[in-house]
Amino acid sequence: MAVRREKAERLADEELMPLVGRKDPEAFEVLYDRHGGAAYSLAYRIVGDRAAAEEVTQEAFISVWRSGARFDAARGSVRSWLLSVVRNRAIDFLRSRAGKAPKLTFDDDAALEARPAAERTEEEALHRETAAEVRGALGNLPGEQSKVIELAYFGGFSHSEIARILGLPMGTVKGRMRLGLEKIRGELAEGLA
Amino acid sequence: MNASDHNRWSEDLAAYLLGALDADEAATMERHLEGCERCQEEMRWLEPALQTLPEAVERQEPSPQLRQTLMAEVRADVREAESRSAPGRSRRWLLKPAMGFAVVALLVAGVVGYEVGNGGSDAGGKATTLERQVDGLAVKMVQEGESGTLQLSGVHQLPPDKVLEAWVEREGQVEAVPALFVPDRNGQAETRIADMNGVAVVMVTEEPQGGSDQPTGEPIMQMEVPS
Repeated sequence: MAVRREKAERLADEELMPLVGRKDPEAFEVLYDRHGGAAYSLAYRIVGDRAAAEEVTQEAFISVWRSGARFDAARGSVRSWLLSVVRNRAIDFLRSRAGKAPKLTFDDDAALEARPAAERTEEEALHRETAAEVRGALGNLPGEQSKVIELAYFGGFSHSEIARILGLPMGTVKGRMRLGLEKIRGELAEGLA
Repeated sequence: MNASDHNRWSEDLAAYLLGALDADEAATMERHLEGCERCQEEMRWLEPALQTLPEAVERQEPSPQLRQTLMAEVRADVREAESRSAPGRSRRWLLKPAMGFAVVALLVAGVVGYEVGNGGSDAGGKATTLERQVDGLAVKMVQEGESGTLQLSGVHQLPPDKVLEAWVEREGQVEAVPALFVPDRNGQAETRIADMNGVAVVMVTEEPQGGSDQPTGEPIMQMEVPS
C-alpha cells in the first residue's frame, strides 16, 4: 500500500528506497522531487541539450523505479547512487550519439544564483552550499588536472582516449587524475576539520 | 607487495573511480581490490571527491513535463501490475520481437540440455542441480529450499559500464533479480535468487550499470526451471 505523500516527505532517502522497491509511487515522487533537479543538471552537463537530458533523466529514474531494491546503503548515499545511474545512462547516450563532444566549462555560479528563491528549500540550500564548495575545489585545480577529470567523468573518455586527445603519455593522464582527486579530497577534508 | 608495485595500483585507482580504465584494466583493478586492503582504504578515501563531481555542475531546471511524464509512467506501471493479477495476462517480455528467436531456441535447448542431479526436484531439503551448456557457456543452477544460486562459466569480460542482470519469470511476470553481478577473471559469474517459488524461466542479460527495468538485449543465457 502506498504511503501518504506527507509521510513520505518526512522519510530519509534511505527509508524511501524500500518503499520504492515495493512500488510506492508517493515515495518515488518524493525521491524525484529531492534529486530530480540534480539528476537533470548532471544529464544536461553530459549530453548538452535539454531534450536528451530529459530523456536520460527519465530513463534513469524509471530504471530506479523498476529496480529500486538494488540500492545498497553500504556503498554510499541514495543521492550518489542515483547520480551514478544518471551518469552511466548519459555516457551511454553520448556514446550512442557518435561525434558529440562534451561541454568542458564550469562557469555555473551565475545560473545557480539566478534560481528562483521559492526553489531554495533548506535541503536545496545545503546542496547549493556543498556544490559551491565543490566548484571551488574543482576550480582550484590546475587546468591540466581538471581537464582530464572532466573528460573522464563528464565525457566518458577512457584514459587512453584522453591521452590521445591531449597528446600526453597515458601515465601522465592517470597521474593528473590521481592528483586532481587527491586535491579535491584534501580540500573537502579541510572543510570538515 | 613492495611500495613500487603498490604505486602502480594506486595510480590506476583514480582512473578506475572516474570510469576511465578500459574494460580489461577495470576488471584487473577489481580483482586486485578484492584482496588489497590498502587500495580499498585509498578508494574509500577518494570516493567522496568523486561524489562531489556531479554536484559541481551548473544547476538546470527540468521542465514540469518531465515530472508529469515520469509520474504518469510510474502510475501506469502500478495499474499494469494490479491488472496483471488477473488471469490471462500476456508475457510481455517474452513476446518482444528482438528476443523472440532466442527465447524459442533456448527453451527448446533447455528441455534437451538439462541434467538433474542430487535427488531431482522433490522438496526433501536436498539441493537440486540443473546443468547445461550453450555456446560455450556452462550454466549451473543449484536450488535449495526456496532460494537458488545461478552459476555461469565461460562468460566474456564486460565493459566497465556493463553488468549482468538476471531475470526470472514467475506466473507470467518477469522480475529482475535484485543483485547485479559481473564475471571474475576466469569468466565465472554467480548470483543468488532469493525466491525460486513459482519460477518457470531464468535468464541473464548484459545491462548498463545500475541495471534495467526490463531486458534490453538478447539473453546470454536462458533456461527453463522444471516445476
